[in-house]
This record gives sequence, structure tokens and C-alpha cells, in this order.
Amino acid sequence: MQNESLEVSRMASKLLRKTFMEPLGKNNPVFVQILGICSTLAVTNKLQNTMVMTLGVMFTTALSSLTISILRNYIPSRIRMMVETMVIATFVIIVDIVLKAFYPEMWKQLGPYVGLIITNCIIMGRIEAFALQNKPMLSLVDGLASGLGYAYVLLAIAFVRELLGTGSLWGFQILGSWWTNWSIMIMPPGGFFVLAIIIWIIREKIMKEAKND
Amino acid sequence: MKAKRTFYSERIYPLLFMFAVTFFCILITSGLQLATEDRATANELAFTRRAILNAGGVAFENTTEGIEEAFQSKIEEQDGYYVADSNSGKRYIIPVEGPGLWGAITIMAGFEEDLSTFSGIAIVSQNETPGLGARIEEPWFTEQFRGKQAPFTLVEEGTADAPTEVDAITGATRTSEYFKNITNRAANDAKRIIGGE
Repeated sequence: MQNESLEVSRMASKLLRKTFMEPLGKNNPVFVQILGICSTLAVTNKLQNTMVMTLGVMFTTALSSLTISILRNYIPSRIRMMVETMVIATFVIIVDIVLKAFYPEMWKQLGPYVGLIITNCIIMGRIEAFALQNKPMLSLVDGLASGLGYAYVLLAIAFVRELLGTGSLWGFQILGSWWTNWSIMIMPPGGFFVLAIIIWIIREKIMKEAKND
Repeated sequence: MKAKRTFYSERIYPLLFMFAVTFFCILITSGLQLATEDRATANELAFTRRAILNAGGVAFENTTEGIEEAFQSKIEEQDGYYVADSNSGKRYIIPVEGPGLWGAITIMAGFEEDLSTFSGIAIVSQNETPGLGARIEEPWFTEQFRGKQAPFTLVEEGTADAPTEVDAITGATRTSEYFKNITNRAANDAKRIIGGE
């Protein structure tokens, strides 16, 4: 009897770890599923903006996955998308209102992008693919991990773009006056270049090697 | 787990459910909105006032209280414009709005007593491309207007030196063009509204 419950809890923690690790690595929303690309390209020309944006996305994916998972047995399946959108929009508006009240500068800089978190495919994707079938705590972990998986890729892109595009990081000048800013890096094409290169490196080098091991 | 399909489960329940979810969501968001409204309005006001102080070249401490204090002691509000006291006489600040590339750009333009030399400009709102046109918010761009006279001509970034030349922003030619028009208009407005010409 005791062995059995031990076995169950071991399996549960294994599942929890798997749920948490997958979106960070082999099931990453950005470089494997190629989701959320519009915001990946739009907000990655400054580290600071990217940080706030990804925190907003993490907050929204985690809590909307949790909420939908709690409600999952009560939501009529034919109106589930409406309910999902409503819940996501509520959390995004909360982020927007809080930024507006407490970080007005950041709110002004991010402009329409905060509202556009609603349309981030990762959030709806995780709800449809995961939260509707799984228990609340697991869904929360999945949502949070998906947000994290999104966040670190975006921060990596923003790091490259801000450094090459303006010679600074987090708004502080890093490279000296000898550095010529690569204006293309902070323009939209720069986002495509860096994203594509990062996806290529990860898929061709890291993921293939991991598979061969 | 196939429940029986009834009129209630197919029509009424989804409707009630959606209604309840919507009601609850709106309750949360509007509650939060109302709770933070005062703060948001205060931020907005401080933002506009900071722009006025910057345009008038008035020194202040960059906190909500600092802005408020400097504004109360140094700025006098007139009909459609503001007057700032400075060591070199009065300065006049007017709000000007004009089209940008994606939406309206609103600025505060400050003038010395002669109403033609800029004492500074500050952006109140803009929707230009982040990283390109939005660089009009950067200090190097707004600072360059100080002490210059309209009408302006645009030159390549980093080459302006005559008193009527301003640096354009590389990669944001059209925003620079729109911005130049707004500043030129500001100079005309200042003469018309404050000077009474």
C-alpha cells in the first residue's frame, strides 16, 4: 500500500518535471512550435521592453491556463473559445492597467503591444492543447513554463539586437564610440535575421546532437 | 461521458455560462480600472507637465512631487499656452499637434521672449515606429532644437550646424519630415497666438 502511494507520487513529480522542462527545450513554443512570432519580432529591439513584455506573457499564460483548467469541466465545448478569449483578455487588461498606473513610462513605450498579448498564439495554444485536459496545478506549471520558454528566447534575441543595433544593453552604453550601430538590427528585418539564426543554431546544432546522444 | 443533449444543455446553459464569465471578468477589470484611475490621471498630468517644464528649459526633480512643485512655482497657465520664468526673461510654451507617420504627434514647444528662438521641445505623445521614428523621443534629437530658429531644414544625422538646420533620423526620413513640419508650425503658432500677429 505504501509502496504504491510512493510510486504514484514519484510518477506525479516526474510528470511535473516533464511538464516544466518540455516547453523550455524540445517543445519550446518559439523555436520548435514557431508560435508567438509576431511579438517575437516586434518587441525584441530593446531588452527592457522585452523583459516587461515577456513577464506580461508569463503572467497571462500561467493564470489563464490555471483558470481555464479549473473551469474545464463546466465550460460547454461549443463556446469554449469565447470563454478562453474572455479569460485571456481579462488577464491582459489587468497587466495593461497595472502598467499604466505604476509604470507609465514603460506603458507608453510598449504602446499597443501589451493589448496584443491577447492574440499571442502560445496562450490559446497551451489552453487548447493542455489546460482543457489537465488538472489546475499542472496547467499552471505548463503555462508558466511555456511563458518562460518564450521569455528566454526573446531575451536572447533582444540581447543580440540591442547590442548590435545601438551598442547598448538595458539602455546602458556598452560598446564605445568606435562601434557603428547596425540600424538594421533594431528595424523589423533585424528581428527576422536574429530569430532565424537562433532557430537554425538550436535546431541544427543543439537539438540534433541531443537526439544523437 | 456523453451527457444527454437537451434544450437546456445545448442552448440555455452555454448562454448562462458565457453571461456569468463575462460578468465576472468585467467586474474584475472595471474594478481595477476604477481603483487605479486617480493614479493613471495623475501620471498623465505629470507627464504633460514634465513636457512643459522640459520645453521651457526649467530645471526640476524627476519625480511626481518634483514635477508638481516646479510646475506650481515656475509655470503660469494662460489661455492656450504657458509662461515660464527663467533667468533670461520669460519663456512661452505652446502645445502643438500634427500628423506623424502612423498617428498624431503632440509636442510642447518652448520659445524665448523673442518668440522665434526655441528654448526646447518635448514630446507629449507619438505613435512612430519603435526603434526608428520613435527615436524623436531621444534627448539628442529633442535637445538639438534648443537655441535654434524655424523654419528648419533637415540634414543627414549628425551633420547639423547652422542655426536653422536639424539632424534627421536615419531610417526615419518621413517621421523626421513630419516632425520638422510640426516644429515649423509651432513657430508660426507662437507668433500668432502669443504674439498676436
